[in-house]
Amino acid sequence: MSRLSWVKTALEVGVVTKKYPYEDVEVPEGFRGLPEFDAVKCIGCTSCANVCTPDAIRVVEDVGSGVRRLEYRVGKCIFCGRCAEVCPVSAITISKEFELAYKGEVVHVIELRYARCSVCGKPFTTSKHLTHVEGKLSEVIRENVDLCPDCKRRVSINSIIQSAGAVR
Amino acid sequence: MDVVGRILKILEGKVSNYKVINSGNVIIDVRAEDLVDVVRIITEELGGIYSVIVGNDARRVDGTFHNIYVFSLDSLKTYLLVRVRLSPEEPSVQSITSVVKGANWGEREVRDLLGINVLNHPDPRRLVLPDGWPDNVNPLRKEFNYQTRPQLNCSTQYTPIRSEDVVALPYGPYHPLLHEPEYFELHIKGETVVGVEYRGFHVHRGIEKLGESRLTYNQIPFVAERICGICGFVHNVCYCQAIEGASGIEVPERALYIRSLILEIERLHSHLLWLGVACHILGFDTGFMHAWRIREPIMNLAEALTGNRKNYGLNLVGGVRRDVSKDSVGKVIKILKNVRDEYSRFIKGLTALKEVVKRLEGSGILPKAEAVSYGVVGPVARASGLKRDVRVDHPYAAYKDVSFKVPTYSGCDNMSRLMVRVEEVYESMSIIEQLLDRLPGGPILAENAEVPEYREGFSSVEAPRGEDVHYVLTGKYSKVYRWKVRAPTYNNIPALNVMLHECPLSDAPLTIASIDPCFSCTDRLIVVDVRSGKRFKVGLKALAKGWRP
Repeated sequence: MSRLSWVKTALEVGVVTKKYPYEDVEVPEGFRGLPEFDAVKCIGCTSCANVCTPDAIRVVEDVGSGVRRLEYRVGKCIFCGRCAEVCPVSAITISKEFELAYKGEVVHVIELRYARCSVCGKPFTTSKHLTHVEGKLSEVIRENVDLCPDCKRRVSINSIIQSAGAVR
Repeated sequence: MDVVGRILKILEGKVSNYKVINSGNVIIDVRAEDLVDVVRIITEELGGIYSVIVGNDARRVDGTFHNIYVFSLDSLKTYLLVRVRLSPEEPSVQSITSVVKGANWGEREVRDLLGINVLNHPDPRRLVLPDGWPDNVNPLRKEFNYQTRPQLNCSTQYTPIRSEDVVALPYGPYHPLLHEPEYFELHIKGETVVGVEYRGFHVHRGIEKLGESRLTYNQIPFVAERICGICGFVHNVCYCQAIEGASGIEVPERALYIRSLILEIERLHSHLLWLGVACHILGFDTGFMHAWRIREPIMNLAEALTGNRKNYGLNLVGGVRRDVSKDSVGKVIKILKNVRDEYSRFIKGLTALKEVVKRLEGSGILPKAEAVSYGVVGPVARASGLKRDVRVDHPYAAYKDVSFKVPTYSGCDNMSRLMVRVEEVYESMSIIEQLLDRLPGGPILAENAEVPEYREGFSSVEAPRGEDVHYVLTGKYSKVYRWKVRAPTYNNIPALNVMLHECPLSDAPLTIASIDPCFSCTDRLIVVDVRSGKRFKVGLKALAKGWRP
């Protein structure tokens, strides 16, 4: 094979580089780009934050303002798509968007109002999360759903004691 | 006689306890005073090749420090893990570097990171920790919080070589021919390299500590993948296999096939990348451009199959996250056919160039005996006549179902290392075709992937650069107690001492590149050989004034 064959290959192949960003670049179906959050669907269960490896999704409990805040930081995201996989209400979709270089920090925020315990008034989860859970429970268990874990424990123990006929 | 029986018979009276863990690998407990003898018997009579040393601060499990010396018994298709338990107050153990040269780094690593004192070590300098790191602060001990950043004492002085006729030539940490931050001090006499000193671990990121402190089982795969920017999927698979092995999780067959498929796609792109870099270092940039052009469709393929060009994010403990569709099978076959044609043409052109061949032939010699003693892995071992390949010696994923050749050369030089990789590309393409042909149906993720507490798992994967090993000890609260990673380059760099000795300076960059080094991988851990010349100290001020040897 002659040395000239390299030239021949180069001429045959031509230019393969693209004039990006002046020319669009296609990404395939199923590409994992920017996650998009649907604030209407989100129930604030924090599953996404639990699986997030780089802590790109963080939960801030702002009791003073009465809201649970979910913050997503694009700069920390590794685009693994685990959040979309675990979301129980499909509020997260993985888009094909990959041009994400911005100056400064970009934070997407979802705020959800707390549900307050019907006994002690302490906030314990979001009201949308509570409604979601309520819909999944049978009537028997649904009874004390609006109680915070502490009050629920106390109420349950009391009712067991009473049904067993013990004297307080 | 079975494998365990044979091991116990040869090591009669020295093994106090043994346990068979996943994939038939055997852990034996020996007394610390017998260690050197046991290692000698394993290497001489069982044909064991050194793989890794795993140090473990197991004081919260059984009150002792563990040092686990791992040997690959290629002929018995098993790994032998030799464990010594060391005192929790002052752990110390005899050095085995006199028996296996490859253990040099491993011993210094456990000393740096765990404070396990190694007695009679030939080169007891620091390996992983920077010189200014305070004494007696060992980051992998459990009492060390992962967010701690100790005050560095920067007055430590650099000690270059000084001799009448030997000159120290710095190569790195930033250099046009090195693509990652590592430092080689080449000692040259005239035009000939007579010694080399390596200092790395500039990009040690403490990934093991992070995994043990903050991450849960299913978060680690995504971090493991980022150990390497080229063959990250290898670490990802290896970690998952170790956890699955430790917990006895059955991975669905289709998932195993998909893992093998992506591993081979990764080998294709990695070898093509290396071929390009080798051309570039030889000053043949045309070859570099063509190699990377041919590689591009492979990258697109990975993107289509996994959702990203690199960092595939495919594995979880128990299987994979994304299935391979019928459409994409056809696409893979079509792209492979084109790549094979282009690649054949490229290789034919490259090997016909005399100036390329002459530079490669006879340079960077690593004799077989040295290859064994250093425990080198992957194409470096196979180019020195050692027929070692994890895919054959310790089959994992779907490799037991496919047939392929393990290219082995006995030239022991840079040409052999190039040819091994050249042929492996063809083998990988054939493996991919076989896998797609036989792709079984069914689920891709195990239903119930529970991980029990305090179980050990050991796993290895044939990375493009050689054997990658992961060891895990599971812990409480969905976290690993100990996660040890040893990347292939870790075992290959020390052998550069041999390859570079008496080699002309102009061949040094190519020889260093011939092991396809991957420093970020290695830097979760270093080698040195100083031959002639006196040493003296040069202060920071003298360096700033432009001091020269």
